Amino acid sequence: MDSLRNLSRFALDTLRLLLVGNRYYYAWVGFLLALILCGVFAYTGQLSQGLIISNMRDQVSWGFYIGNFTFLVGVAAAAIMLVIPAYIYDWEPIKEITILGEMLAISALVMCLGFVLVDIGRPDRFWHIIPLVGKLNWPASLLAWDVIVLNLYLLLNWFVVTYLLFCAYTERHYVKAIVLPLVLLSIPMAVSIHTVTAYLYNGIAARPFWNSAILAPRFLASAFCSGPAILLILLQVLRKTTKLRITDEAIFKIAELMAYTMGFNLFLTAAEVFKEFYSGTEHLVFIQYLFFGLKGHTTLVPFAWASILTGLAAFLLFLIPRTRKNWITLNLGCLLIYASVYIEKGMGLIIPGLTPDVLGEIYEYRPSVTEAFVAAGIFATGFLVFTLMLKAAVPVMLGEFTARRRLGGGSHPEPSDHNHSAREVTP
Amino acid sequence: MTMDRRNFLTVGGKFFIFTAAAGSALEYVLAAEPHNAPGYRTMDHWWAMMIDIEKCIGCGSCVRADKAENDVPLEPFYFRTWVERYHVDPEKEHPEVDSPDGGYHGFPEKFHEGDGSKNFFVPKMCNQCADSPCTQVCPVGATFVSPDGAVLVDKKYCLGCRYCIQACPYGCRYIDPRTETVDKCNLCYHRITKGLTTACAEVCPTGARRLGDLKDPKDYVHQYLRENKIQVLKAHLATQSKTYYNGLDGSVR
Repeated sequence: MDSLRNLSRFALDTLRLLLVGNRYYYAWVGFLLALILCGVFAYTGQLSQGLIISNMRDQVSWGFYIGNFTFLVGVAAAAIMLVIPAYIYDWEPIKEITILGEMLAISALVMCLGFVLVDIGRPDRFWHIIPLVGKLNWPASLLAWDVIVLNLYLLLNWFVVTYLLFCAYTERHYVKAIVLPLVLLSIPMAVSIHTVTAYLYNGIAARPFWNSAILAPRFLASAFCSGPAILLILLQVLRKTTKLRITDEAIFKIAELMAYTMGFNLFLTAAEVFKEFYSGTEHLVFIQYLFFGLKGHTTLVPFAWASILTGLAAFLLFLIPRTRKNWITLNLGCLLIYASVYIEKGMGLIIPGLTPDVLGEIYEYRPSVTEAFVAAGIFATGFLVFTLMLKAAVPVMLGEFTARRRLGGGSHPEPSDHNHSAREVTP
Repeated sequence: MTMDRRNFLTVGGKFFIFTAAAGSALEYVLAAEPHNAPGYRTMDHWWAMMIDIEKCIGCGSCVRADKAENDVPLEPFYFRTWVERYHVDPEKEHPEVDSPDGGYHGFPEKFHEGDGSKNFFVPKMCNQCADSPCTQVCPVGATFVSPDGAVLVDKKYCLGCRYCIQACPYGCRYIDPRTETVDKCNLCYHRITKGLTTACAEVCPTGARRLGDLKDPKDYVHQYLRENKIQVLKAHLATQSKTYYNGLDGSVR
């Protein structure tokens, strides 16, 4: 009963916390809301005119939306990149920031579900793929699997984050027997969401470009580069703008782990390229379309090479300890790796899989204006969710925002106090 | 997988018969109302299509009949069936394939006899695969193989996710712009369950297309399969296609 009352107070206090901020906060949230509004307008157009308003056609029937979806599943999965060293190797400095990784996963999953929602032709029938509500074609359809694992992963992360913050708010220590198994479970869950998403493409025998056994490993390797890249930049922003303590050591450790995954990712890409070009079967046309163009159709070519080159450059920057520990080259590397994976796992995966189509036709797909605006709206929604979660979580993590010492109610916590509380919130 | 499908067929079959008697919700599932057809039992049939390349003259009657019969949008990129023209020139690496408006208006003459090339028409349609990749991937089971071997779409349950369009190796599916759901050849299910043949076979002037029932021992299909050199499209994908081509050239994909 008592904790129930606490829970509703926690919710109310959090809401109050979200409404108050400095002008940068208001400006940022206002900007995101404006983008979301643009997205809503564009989506209304799509709803009234149908998906024909996008540039997707029956030849290339998945495009920008599903490309973004695939990339973001990777970002969500990468949250475990931080959980593994923290718990398996018991590495303290990273433990404190795993909760941020989990919040990143939640935001990424919100965007994933958004992209799936806008991609389907009949959003009014969205409930057909909700487990237990609609009839899922499970276990035959990989899309049914994907819906299940993505929602479970979302639920898991949401629960862990809320529970940890609530414990910190009520100034009680979290129950380790609840948190630890769930956090450990999130590791195979994260692997599963990206594996299932890879199998979504992998299982389609009609599309040879996706029919590679190393597709799922490639998905994981690239996710473990791009997810932490976002997080590294975020951590630097957070420690500048809030009192959150994040050590250089933690950041450099993540950067070092990224160097390994990036090397592995490049190796897997090379393995794929070798197999396609050396065997040179009729299936070669897809990768040819990606890297060299086909019959004068070269839309993807500059992007494909940009992905390879930025990936290589980022790998070198992260591999060499001196550039890894230099803030400028580190952040540059993050941006490069982000660009590389965004191309590779977005449009660079979907479009060549479908071009040329099964009848050999080439339809050159480019996202339409509507698609760009809708996507911007969804990205803004994800950023908004993340911003709001951070806004609530940071004071709780710092111990500034608890049931006793509510917003504005108490003095600022002592520095020694806030270290202690920060450790307490994070598992 | 095989067990699943077999189970599905058995359970689905029972359900079908039961439904036929009860006349309940599945009438929406189907394009027609099989329970109204006197004496039609889904379990007694296993439909297939025979297409004779040698006989096809590329007149496009089948495409026109199909669009009229099945209310396919008239724009030249929605087809349940279409005809391709192959021009195989030994001098060139790849055959030249064209299909102006899917063959709806027939084919304007383009190639001439005696230039050393090989020219022929290939009518295409849903292959009605028994082990169909499209029904496997549908997340909500809105497309399925009926107990009599037709691959059908429940347009009232389809989400429009287009996963089946990726999965079909034959390019037979399209999104109907009016309903935002997927559509494809349903083997004129409303006709064949009433003892008629499909619209395309009905109008074909040369008899290049013929509907067959593999469960009927007296059906012509058995003799046809025995006496001709039969091929299916993309046999390496093991989709158990039931659209059998006679005289299919190796260049056709």
